Amino acid sequence: MNAWIVTYLPLLGAALLNCGFAISQYIVMRAGVFSVATAGYASLGAYTAATLTMRYGVPPPLALLASALVGALTGGILSIPLARLRGVFQAIATLAFVQIVMSLALFSDRLTGGAMGMNGIPQVVQWPHLLIYVVALVYLISALGGSSIGRVFDTARQDETVAVSLGMSVTRYHALAFALSGAVGGLTGGFYAFYLHSITPDQFGFALLVTTLAAVVLGGRVSVAGPIVGAAIMTFLPELARPLAEQRYLLNGALLMIAIIYLPEGIVDTVKYKLEQRKLTRASLNGAGGRHATSER
Amino acid sequence: MLLQQLLNGLVTGCIYAVFALGFTLIFGVHRVLNLAHGTVCTWGALFGLLLVSPNAIIDGAPLTLLPLPLAIVGAALGAGLLGIVLDFIAFRPLRRRRASEFSALVSSIGASFILLSLAQQFTRTAILRFPFGTFPIHVYRFAGLRLSLLQLLMIGLAIVLPILVGFYLYRTNFGRQVRAVAINENTARLLGVNPAAVYLQIFFISGALAGVVGVMIGLAFNSINFMMGESYLLRSFVVVVLGGLGSISGAVVAGLVLGVIQNLTDVYLSTGLSDAIIFSILFVILLVRPTGFFRGLQQDVRVVRA
Repeated sequence: MNAWIVTYLPLLGAALLNCGFAISQYIVMRAGVFSVATAGYASLGAYTAATLTMRYGVPPPLALLASALVGALTGGILSIPLARLRGVFQAIATLAFVQIVMSLALFSDRLTGGAMGMNGIPQVVQWPHLLIYVVALVYLISALGGSSIGRVFDTARQDETVAVSLGMSVTRYHALAFALSGAVGGLTGGFYAFYLHSITPDQFGFALLVTTLAAVVLGGRVSVAGPIVGAAIMTFLPELARPLAEQRYLLNGALLMIAIIYLPEGIVDTVKYKLEQRKLTRASLNGAGGRHATSER
Repeated sequence: MLLQQLLNGLVTGCIYAVFALGFTLIFGVHRVLNLAHGTVCTWGALFGLLLVSPNAIIDGAPLTLLPLPLAIVGAALGAGLLGIVLDFIAFRPLRRRRASEFSALVSSIGASFILLSLAQQFTRTAILRFPFGTFPIHVYRFAGLRLSLLQLLMIGLAIVLPILVGFYLYRTNFGRQVRAVAINENTARLLGVNPAAVYLQIFFISGALAGVVGVMIGLAFNSINFMMGESYLLRSFVVVVLGGLGSISGAVVAGLVLGVIQNLTDVYLSTGLSDAIIFSILFVILLVRPTGFFRGLQQDVRVVRA
């Protein structure tokens, strides 16, 4: 048992980090924004944390705070021009953002170490820290999702015109979603740097973008459990299928296609919907007699 | 020197133009970003190599099979069929459900991963080459400029293929049906157009274009690997946004412009900066003029909130 834990501990860390990224992606998608900028926030957060601690001697907790701030600021600034765009165009613009961040990180090698990246970042984060971080994050986000903010997000996602007609400022809530997503992405990026103690620009490229997106698509976009389940699947499935290591991409691709074709709402949200439907039919069957009549009065 | 660099940039731009042509065609008709276009292009190159010299991929196969012109046609056919398969597997089930453009995008990412993985296993992650002398090396000089026969062929293709596609779309009966579906699928259906047939044609043409480009890239850079299409896919985002999603002339002009910009940045500034500059251009265009600089197959583009 002990040996098993030691073998799979690095995987647990990876799963927790993926959870963080997936939640960052989930926040924007719940608000109906098709942004894929999480990889860019992660890159900025990771480099902020690494640079501050290694070059300026900032204590790691402060550096993490700075990562979150940088992410939130970037997200907030990004939301201003992107308020004009919708759907696929948002996706392209944020993809461009991710590419810009990556190529700038490659280019400014005096600050970031270029393609070699930064090594020897103090390893101050262990998996228990990550666990605490993700649990706190899930609590915060689900509390936020249950508040009026979550309801506005849901309305804006399902029908923007309705949201506007009900007097909700969709632009402002989208900006909030961008900033929140940026904060979570940046903070998780900072944790990433302190946990893996070595970062390179291409770790935050198209591959991370796709894994993160896939986690949310697989898990679901409405409940907070969605990105967690999705991230867990995206982390553990390739390991379970280790004999098929060659087919890792094949497996991920097939999973993504099957999920979007047969479970378009994601695993968690589909199951939740089915359970609710069953509860409703049961309730209406049980109360088919008098209770219905009285409630009419 | 500057003129030579401009010329080289134009040739690079020709590749971008033809690549983006197939990409923008699917968006224009289907309103779907087909992220598997890059891998279809890779497979086109592999088909071409397989037809020219099967020995390069499969051990013990004959050393030469077909001359290059026939192999290019074969690669186009193969990649076109792959495009149709892609439509059947990745897009048709979603179309039936009337799913959002987001679903189609995700589905095409999945399909691209599958094709990528198959290409990786097929090539055993090796970098393959067309055998030496597949394409005759001729260099023409005039007015101090150098232009190889291969570059001439690329320029020719970038002129002929868009004209052919344009003729097909705007001068034939099939093209009229395609445009009808692009504008409104339901109305087109009421008028007796079969959208399934239109999608079949469009995916075939798009795949075939990708196949031709794949062979060209393989010849020009003398290297074929399973990731080769991906960087072109990211670049073609810039091309189609600059030119207007769904616009043919836009794709060609924007492709050429992008090729020149990239070449000039590479030569005069820094190779590391060219990506940053190109994607910054994309970002700025999306903000200033999200519909691009040319009109697409439909006039309205749902970019800005109503």
